[in-house]
Amino acid sequence: MSAYDDFAKEKQDIDDLLARGYTVAGMLETLDGAKVKFDEAKPGSGSVELLLLTADARKYVTTLVFAGLEKAQ
Amino acid sequence: MADLSINLAGIKSPNPFWLASAPPTNTGYQVQRAFEAGWGGAVWKTLGDPIINTSSRFAAVNFNGQRVAGFNNIELITDRPLDVNLKEIYETKKRFPNHAVVASLMVEPKQEKWHEIVKRVEDVGVDGLELNFGCPHGMAERGMGAASGQQPDLVEAQTYWVKEVAKTPVIVKLTPNITDITVTARHAVKGGADAISLINTINSLAGVDIHTWNTVPHIGGKGAHGGYCGPAVKPIALNMVAECARHPEVTVPISGIGGISTWQDVVEFMLMGSTAIQVCTAAMHHGFRIVEEMIDGLNNYLDEKGLASVTELTGKSVSKYSNWGDLNLNYKVVARINEENCINCNKCHIACEDTSHQCIDMLTNADGKAILKVREEDCVGCNLCSIVCPAEGAIDMVEIDSGLPPMTWNERQQVVGGLSGAYSKAEVV
Repeated sequence: MSAYDDFAKEKQDIDDLLARGYTVAGMLETLDGAKVKFDEAKPGSGSVELLLLTADARKYVTTLVFAGLEKAQ
Repeated sequence: MADLSINLAGIKSPNPFWLASAPPTNTGYQVQRAFEAGWGGAVWKTLGDPIINTSSRFAAVNFNGQRVAGFNNIELITDRPLDVNLKEIYETKKRFPNHAVVASLMVEPKQEKWHEIVKRVEDVGVDGLELNFGCPHGMAERGMGAASGQQPDLVEAQTYWVKEVAKTPVIVKLTPNITDITVTARHAVKGGADAISLINTINSLAGVDIHTWNTVPHIGGKGAHGGYCGPAVKPIALNMVAECARHPEVTVPISGIGGISTWQDVVEFMLMGSTAIQVCTAAMHHGFRIVEEMIDGLNNYLDEKGLASVTELTGKSVSKYSNWGDLNLNYKVVARINEENCINCNKCHIACEDTSHQCIDMLTNADGKAILKVREEDCVGCNLCSIVCPAEGAIDMVEIDSGLPPMTWNERQQVVGGLSGAYSKAEVV
């Protein structure tokens, strides 16, 4: 039993999308986890949604956005 | 040797160790014995209309061999006439002019009652007054003590009435039997308090005798709620002191009270904002001479820290006490088990497996020896294993770099707020 494995898988999914040029476009936290919408950098192209279940992944994705905003300021 | 003298809102004493208003400060004989032993100040047992006490008044909670982990009492304020107390206060002050003698007061919440007692008490030369708005038992049923201390408007009004006539500094002693102690602290300040002291005792029933079915203590088969104090209440008191110390509207010095038994406790209370401290239960348990160890310990500590005065401690940790929402979510510690100190009792494994995050494995090393090992990637750094571990130095909680920049919950929620708005719009589109 490893909670880390669950997180590692979700982190990998996030990192893969970001590596393919997607950006975090929206996030909706629900009782069943966080829905995170990723948009492709090119306008008009598709978007992908991940349902993040682990606390560490939900923290990780928001940290990335937060760090990006901090950097932009 | 560092300077231990303090000045609490104009009340000076040779050291920060005061006896709290309670049975140890009932008479001049006791207070003078305490001063001879080394206590720097004493808050006289509460003066007011003399009461009648019950027989059988105290009870203690022992825990796993530690006697008096908590202490419960149903004793009321002084049962001696005011004149008798005042004569002894005068004699004590005359003999110990440099020690702090503070009179604790409790009367009905009426302006003329407060004016009368303040004038009479100040006439004998006390260094200050402490308004007892805290006693949770007996007096509260008569509209005094905690009963008035739980109503912010009454705290303010009574403090104001006292300040109308008081010539010495006024300390307001607060009850912990309230949802948010900073509310009454703020109202004490609004009423003109020069300082606050906290905490008074916590509503309690020490126990029930499972053989006789009587309360502990009981008075001929009947009991009533009392006030709880002693080492068990220290964390509650320390939090309340800290909450007052960091509140921007609580602008007066603090006298910290609640389970203080050692010089280390004193340092903690001062770091969290206390200018002076008060002790009761430890003196009742071990006698007045415990102050000698407190003075030596504090002196040595200040020397080790290179501090010239004890006053340099006051408030130094207050800025480190924050709100949960302002803590860094990306800070990370993990447990590490030191094989050389581990006694293989498996308590850490059991605690982690049953009640935490299942990240301590029972393994066998290359030599065939049973070992315990933390899977650090699964460890959330809860500290439980190190708390339950009986072997000194067997488990360290080690800070590791999470690789992520600092981010608090409040900062995160701002990000989530922005993203959820964007998410909703995206859904509509």
